[in-house]
Amino acid sequence: MELGRLWSGSKPLKIGLSILVFLVLVALLQPFINRMLLGDVNPLTMGKFESYLDPSPQHWLGTDRWGRDWMAQLVLGLRYSLIIGALAGSVATFIAVALGFVAGYKGANTDAILRTLTDMILVIPTWPILVTLAAYIKALSVPVMALLLAAFSWPWAMRTIRSQVMSLRRQPYIELAKISNLGDLEIIFQELVPNLLPYLALGLAYSMVGAILAETGLELVGLGPGNIVTLGLMINWALRWGLLTLGKWQMLFAPVICLILLFVSLNLINIGLEETFNPRLKRITGA
Amino acid sequence: MDATPLLEVSNLSKVYVTGRGLVGRGEIRAVDNVSFTLPGDKPTLVTMVGESGSGKTTIARMILGLTPPTAGTIHYKGRDIWTMNQQEWAQYRRHVQAVFQDPYGTYNPFYKIDRVLELPIRKFGLASSREQARELANEALRAVELRPDDIWGRYSHQLSGGERQRIMLARLYLLRPQLIIADEPVSMIDVSLRAAFLNILLNFEQEYGMSCLFITHDLATGYYLGGQIIILCQGRIVEMGSMDAAVHNPKHPYTQLLVASVPPPDPKERWQEDFDLKLSELRRSPELAKGCVYRDRCPVIGEKCSDVPPTMVTVEENHQVACHLYV
Amino acid sequence: MNSALLEVRDVRVYYSSVRGEYKVVDGVSFDVQRNEVLGLAGESGCGKSTLVEGLLRLVVPPGYIKSGEAISDELTKDVSNNCDLLSLTDEEFRQIRWKNISYIPQGSMNSLNPVMKVEDQIMDAILTHSDMSRQEAKERVAELLNAVGLPAGVAGLYPHEMSGGMKQRAIIAAAIALKPKLIIADEPTTALDVSIQRMILQTLKRVRQAIGATIIIVTHDMPVHAQLADRLVIMYAGKVVEIGSIRHLFDDPLHPYSQGLIATIPSITKQRRRLQGILGMAPSPLEWPPGCRFYPRCLSVTEVCKQEEPALREIKPGRFVACHLHR
Repeated sequence: MELGRLWSGSKPLKIGLSILVFLVLVALLQPFINRMLLGDVNPLTMGKFESYLDPSPQHWLGTDRWGRDWMAQLVLGLRYSLIIGALAGSVATFIAVALGFVAGYKGANTDAILRTLTDMILVIPTWPILVTLAAYIKALSVPVMALLLAAFSWPWAMRTIRSQVMSLRRQPYIELAKISNLGDLEIIFQELVPNLLPYLALGLAYSMVGAILAETGLELVGLGPGNIVTLGLMINWALRWGLLTLGKWQMLFAPVICLILLFVSLNLINIGLEETFNPRLKRITGA
Repeated sequence: MDATPLLEVSNLSKVYVTGRGLVGRGEIRAVDNVSFTLPGDKPTLVTMVGESGSGKTTIARMILGLTPPTAGTIHYKGRDIWTMNQQEWAQYRRHVQAVFQDPYGTYNPFYKIDRVLELPIRKFGLASSREQARELANEALRAVELRPDDIWGRYSHQLSGGERQRIMLARLYLLRPQLIIADEPVSMIDVSLRAAFLNILLNFEQEYGMSCLFITHDLATGYYLGGQIIILCQGRIVEMGSMDAAVHNPKHPYTQLLVASVPPPDPKERWQEDFDLKLSELRRSPELAKGCVYRDRCPVIGEKCSDVPPTMVTVEENHQVACHLYV
Repeated sequence: MNSALLEVRDVRVYYSSVRGEYKVVDGVSFDVQRNEVLGLAGESGCGKSTLVEGLLRLVVPPGYIKSGEAISDELTKDVSNNCDLLSLTDEEFRQIRWKNISYIPQGSMNSLNPVMKVEDQIMDAILTHSDMSRQEAKERVAELLNAVGLPAGVAGLYPHEMSGGMKQRAIIAAAIALKPKLIIADEPTTALDVSIQRMILQTLKRVRQAIGATIIIVTHDMPVHAQLADRLVIMYAGKVVEIGSIRHLFDDPLHPYSQGLIATIPSITKQRRRLQGILGMAPSPLEWPPGCRFYPRCLSVTEVCKQEEPALREIKPGRFVACHLHR
């Protein structure tokens, strides 16, 4: 695949990818950034600094109610939000791919069963269930949270993948593969998957966005995993402590902007991928 | 001499059911009781001619094992292909191969052209080493008059339609099937590039003994290939036999229409009179299937035509028709 | 007095893209005589369809008309002093569309509005482009349907109730509704079944006689030209390579490409002979090679062919060739 052309072909893709890479780098380098900002201090330790300090060269975003450096927490929160998004997104995509391919390729009864299953989950109102389950599960750790989110976000991606597979299934090169004695699995992995990589990437990006959004929502109502800090939790705190009335608007906006950047970058990547790959898939041949 | 026919299609039918429940069920007889044979003792080239809706592609797909028939059997060298076991089926795949219509769609756009040749070598175990495989593939490319250097490493969109179809023939050269099912292989490539393909097909028959079922809507192309002809109309065979007999002495009114519809490529041979074609084009309905499917358009429709489907009768050597005129 | 209805002079239609300019039509000139059927022939990528779109002002970005003129006094006289079709304003051209020039695009039978009766659709076109009253338009539709051989009852049908052949004839009826002086038909029979082809070609002949129009037929299908065209323009790689009467072109083609093209057409009426194709592939409009664009595939190539592009010359009255072999 011509990756170089991929990169240069689409402006949204370039921008989105740049932002995302930047954010991911920040998240990955969190320990180093933390050391740079605070030395060896755990950013969640309370009382290390004075509460509600204004932004200064020592504390770029100031400190919060319990004297914790807000910037350091932002970086940590970004890291955890991304981790949850990536985990949940990956699991969801994995399920969606497995079910989507099987349903799309096999068709007939298998498809009917899988589609019904998918539709059932699609119509379940996700939000109330998430809230209920999150409130019920006492020990809500990161992996459990991710699984929870994944469990409800795979149907959309599954349907997209399924319909793509169904449309490709009729392609002449699939028929050629069949008469070349390729088995079903071989056809799925060797013939279909490579052509669907852009859609899989798209699916992954959408799942991640969905997961982070859902997680943020849960955090906002205080139902997230309590032992880690995420961007959503930070927004929750900012609202609870009434930071706006205190005039500390930068502390509320920082995590919000971070989230916005994340969503914007993922959506730009989506747009960019569609832009690049749709004309490709419809390539006009010069005979 | 081996008297077992290479391919024996008997009473083959494919019926699609449409509509459900309240709307009412209907059926489309895409292929309706088709029978024909390809002899086993010598290579044959049979052109199957039909327009849209004739069922020709469906027959091809059933022979290739891509769609199961609703009724009837297909025997390859005496064995019913739809009751074959895994091993026999693998053998069948080796011996009965295809060239499809779309010179672009048959290539997976993700891969280079190389794969189209390397895959069958690998899957059917035609070579024991990579070098041998490459040599085999090169020989195949040369056999279809392509230069290997021009082909390796290219993607399908970098080659012309004619070249792409010839690579498909190179693939057949590698496999040396007994029977080639060619479904409209030249209709999507430029006219000037067709001759090369057709000539290679003829060569394959003469030099390597590969029989071919050539499916097309273009009578002139089929005529060039010579050999045998089967004419399909709405899922049924209306006329079959030697190509020359059918084209120079067409018996069925539909064949006569087809022959009269091929515009002669010579301004001196312009059509002089208007051909009066009945307006209605062929409809499909279960009611129509009770008699002759051509009766809506037939200029010489008779009494029996609405009630009784005509049976195939021999009118001269190597020439049969299914029409009440000839009973 | 010049009897040419339309003089196309050095028309260029380019497409811009990130990779560069696709010079799809790159300097095309020919005349269209009054009351003739002019065939425009060539294979995929030669630019004939784009040329026609250019003449009809249907080119959309990233395509654009780079240069050239299409001069016609007769077609433009009632809307403007400007005789060049390509430089009329959009509003001016809109006024001559349907009235002076009408267009039957490729696959147009599929562009009928599925929720309107055929009669209404044709009436719509008539009422939009003329001052006829509703009643007059309705009568005209009946006349038109008759002219194309459709019974009056067809007027009340919806497209899905009509066969492909009926739809195509309805499109032809609409195209002649306002008695245009020039009709351009792009691949009028390509999407249709063979048995209907003859009917459509006959219809076009009838129509031409009935309203005395000039017709330009664009198709790669040479036998269609043999049946209908009086003169033929053959295009290759964005340029014209030969122009002549239909007889001359079929009996004695001068340009090696024309010769290759004619030699490759199968016939069912003549004796079978081995068909030769043209080897190689047409160059890309992104980078036309220097010299004659056909030289890589030409069997009679000489040194000068590789360096200098041959100009289109009238070597005998009415016979034009762009080839160094003919000076």
